[in-house]
Amino acid sequence: MHYDNITGSYNSNALLTGNEAIALGAHKAGVYIATGYPGTPSSEILPFLAKFDSAIVNWSINEKTALEIAIGASIGFKRSMFTTKHVGLNVASDPLMTLTLTGVRGGLVIVTADDPGMHSSQNEQDNRLYAKFAKIPMLEPSDSEECLNFTAIAFDICEKFDAPVILRTTTRISHSRSIVSLSDIPSIPCILNLNSNLNFCNNTHINKNKPYKKDIEKFVMAPVYARKRHKSAIERLKYLTDFSNNSGINKIEYNSLDLGIITGGISYQYAKEIAPSASFLKLSFSYPVPDILVKEFVKNIKNVIIIEELEPFIQNEISSLGINLKGKEYFPRDGELNPGLVKQGLAEAKFFITPENYPGTGAAYESGNKNDNEINFNDPENILETLPPRLPALCSGCPHTSVFYALKKLKVPVMGDIGCYTLGALPPLNAMDSCISMGLAFGAAQGLSLAKSSGKRTAGIMGDSTFFHSGITSLIDAKYNNASFTAIILDNATTAMTGGQDHPGTGKNLSLNQSISNKIDIKKIIEGIGVDEIYIIDPYDYNDTFKTLKKALNSDNLNVVITNRPCILYPKKLNCEKKFEVLEGCLGCDLCMQIGCPSILASSDFNPSNNKRLPFIDTSCIGCSICKDICIFNFIEEIK
Amino acid sequence: MDDLIQNILICGIGGQGVILAGKIISLAAFESGMDIKTSEVHGMSQRGGSVSTHIRYGKKIFSPLIPENKATVILSFDIYETARYICSFANEKTIIISSNQGKISSWTSKNKNDKIENGNGFIDADAVAGLLRANFKSLNLIDDKKIAENLGNIKVSNSVLTGVLSCFTKIKEEIWLKAIEKNVPRKTADLNIKAFLTGRNCYENKIF
Repeated sequence: MHYDNITGSYNSNALLTGNEAIALGAHKAGVYIATGYPGTPSSEILPFLAKFDSAIVNWSINEKTALEIAIGASIGFKRSMFTTKHVGLNVASDPLMTLTLTGVRGGLVIVTADDPGMHSSQNEQDNRLYAKFAKIPMLEPSDSEECLNFTAIAFDICEKFDAPVILRTTTRISHSRSIVSLSDIPSIPCILNLNSNLNFCNNTHINKNKPYKKDIEKFVMAPVYARKRHKSAIERLKYLTDFSNNSGINKIEYNSLDLGIITGGISYQYAKEIAPSASFLKLSFSYPVPDILVKEFVKNIKNVIIIEELEPFIQNEISSLGINLKGKEYFPRDGELNPGLVKQGLAEAKFFITPENYPGTGAAYESGNKNDNEINFNDPENILETLPPRLPALCSGCPHTSVFYALKKLKVPVMGDIGCYTLGALPPLNAMDSCISMGLAFGAAQGLSLAKSSGKRTAGIMGDSTFFHSGITSLIDAKYNNASFTAIILDNATTAMTGGQDHPGTGKNLSLNQSISNKIDIKKIIEGIGVDEIYIIDPYDYNDTFKTLKKALNSDNLNVVITNRPCILYPKKLNCEKKFEVLEGCLGCDLCMQIGCPSILASSDFNPSNNKRLPFIDTSCIGCSICKDICIFNFIEEIK
Repeated sequence: MDDLIQNILICGIGGQGVILAGKIISLAAFESGMDIKTSEVHGMSQRGGSVSTHIRYGKKIFSPLIPENKATVILSFDIYETARYICSFANEKTIIISSNQGKISSWTSKNKNDKIENGNGFIDADAVAGLLRANFKSLNLIDDKKIAENLGNIKVSNSVLTGVLSCFTKIKEEIWLKAIEKNVPRKTADLNIKAFLTGRNCYENKIF
C-alpha cells in the first residue's frame, strides 16, 4: 500500500482540514507562487502547500504586499494564490479594488477565511461583500472535498473570465476535517461543456512559459484606460451570472416540494442536518447569484427560506431580483450559526419538520434518539455560573507577562495591538487599553499623546511580527511629526498567536526551493528612522524591566523599548530547566496571582489567620522566575 | 455504540492536548472506513481558554458540529469542563469519560473585575463529581493524572482517557495504536501506547 506522507493517507481518500484541502487543490492546479500573512483561521494553508515543494510559498510582511506579489506573478503569466483572514483583506483591499479592473493573466485566487463568532478575531465582517464590491466571482466550499475541488477550479475560472476569484471559507470550513478523494479533480472544460452560450473569454489560453509582454491598456489603470476597464468589469458580471446559472457548481437538490432552503457554505451542512427532507438550492458559486436557478427554485417549491451566516448577503441579492424571501428574520446576523440555531430559526418560521409530523427526516432524528431530552439537573440551578471562568491567558513563562505587570504598576495609558499580547488587556493584568487593527498601537499612541487628555505619558505596544506588518510606517510618522511616547516592541521572534510563523525578523520562510531568506534587524530599522533612545530589556528580569520602562516613560523623547526573550512555544517549546515552589509560611496575599500565570493555582489549603486560599505552583512551570521577583515577601523559591 | 452516528465531544483547557486527541480519534475512525467530520478551534482559546473538538462519524455526516444534546460520548480532560459541556451537549444516555480533577487558576476573578477571589466561590471537583453521578448512568470518572504519573509521565494522561474511550467503539485495537503512533512525538510513542492500553484495560477490568 502506498503511504502518502503529506496527506497521511494509505489509499485514495484522506481526512483533511479545509485549509489542507485548499493547499492540495492549489498544488494540483499547478500554483506557481503562493503568498499571505498568518491569521486565524487561514494560517495553515501555506505551510501545508509548502510541504509539496512544488511552488514558491512564502509569508509576506503584510497582506497588501502579499497580494501585490501575487499580482506581479499573474502579470508574468503564472498562477498565484494569496491567503488571508477576513480582516487581512481590508489591508489588501487597495490593490484588490483595482485588480478587479485589470483582471489577470495567470489565475489569481484570493482565499479569505472569515471568523464568524470571533474565535480569534477582533470583528466578524462578512467578506462575501467584497466579491460584490469588487465585481468578482466567489466560491464558497461547504466541506474539505469542495475546498480541494473549488480551489483547483478557481484558477480556471480566473483565466476564463479574466478576473481574480475569491474563495471564501469560514472557521468551521477551514478548521473542520472531512474526507477528500485524492483521485483526479474535475477541470473547468468538463464543467463548461454543460452549457452552450458561454463565449466570454478575452483572456487567451495561459501558456505557463509565455514571455513577459507589456500591455499598458490592461495593467496601467490611469483614468484613460481604467474607464474602459471598468466597463468591461461590469460587462463581465453578465457572463459570470450565466456561468453561475449553468456551470453546475450551483445545484438544486429536489426533495420535498413544500419546503425549500437556499443556503451555502457551512450553513448548508447545518440545514441538511436539521431538515434533510427539504429541497435545497446550494449556492457554492455565490456571487453573482444564479438568477435563473433562484427563479426556478422559487417557482417549484411552495415555501422557501434563506439560511446564511452573518450578513443577509444572499437575501439582498435575491431581493434585488424582485423576489422577497425571509431569512434574517429568523437567523441571527451576528455570531456563528450551528445546528441548534438553524433548528430554532426553522421552528420560528414554522418550517421545522419534527419527527412526529414528518417521519423519516434523516440522520439526527432517525437514529433512535427520540427520547433524548435535555437534562434537568437534579440540583445546581446555575451550574455554569459556579464554574471557574476560563479567559484565555498568556502562557506560563510568557515573556510578555512582566512587561504588562510593570505597565499596570506604572498606571500609564497603553495603546495596544493584535497578537498574543492582546491577552495583556484581560484580568488580572488589565494593562492594555485598545485592540482595533494590526499596527494601530504607535499611530494611536501618537494621537492619544496629542490629545493630552490623560496627564500621563502614553505607551504603544505591539509584537515583532505586527511591527513588520504595519508598525514601521507609524513609527516613521511619529518621528517625522516629533511625537512623544514610548513605543514597546515585544520581540519574541515569531508570530505566536497564529501558531509560530516566520517573519522578516526570523530570517526564515516556508519555501524549500528558494534561496535563504534574509534576517531584518528591528533595532537597525529603528536606528535608521532616527530614534536615538532605544532600550533592549530581558523580560525575565522583572525588576530591570520595571526600572527601564519607568525611565523610558519619564523621558520627553520618542523612545523605543524592545524585549529580547523568545516565545516559549515557537519555534520549539522552551523549558528553563528550573522549577519554582511556594514556600511554607506564605500568607496568601494574592501578589503572585496578579501576573495571571497559568502555573500558579489555588491549592486546597488556607491560611488559618486570614482564611485566604494559598497558591501552589504546578508541574507546568517552565522556570521563567518572574513570580519570584514579584513576591516581595520571598516565599517563592527555585526548587534545588 | 457504533451502529448509529457517533458524536464525540472532547473538551478541556487550551493547551491540554484536545486537538491532538481529536486528531487521533478521528484518524482511527477514518481508517475504519466511516464517513467522518470534525471541528476544532485554533487561535486565542488555545491560550488557556475552554476548548472543545467535535468528532462525528457514521454512514453519512453533514454538520461538523454536534447538534444540541446529541453527544454520544463526552471525553473531558478537566472535570469543570465536563460540567460546562454537559449542559449543552449531553443527554441522559451520554457516556461521560472524564478526568476526576480540574484546574482553577488562582487569579481567576469571578466577577470579571480586578478583584481576585483567590479561587473561592466556585463549585469544587467533588461537588461536580456528585452532580455527574446523579445524572449519568454511564459515568467514568478516572484518576488519569495518577495513572499517568505511575506510568512515568503525567503528560500521557490524555492517552489513558482515550484508552477508556476506545472501549466504547468498535474500532480495532491495531487501528488505534497506528493512529497514536502516527500523531504523537516519536520519543513518546511507546509511553503513549502504554498509557492507552492501561486505560483500555482499566475499563475492561472495571478497575477505576
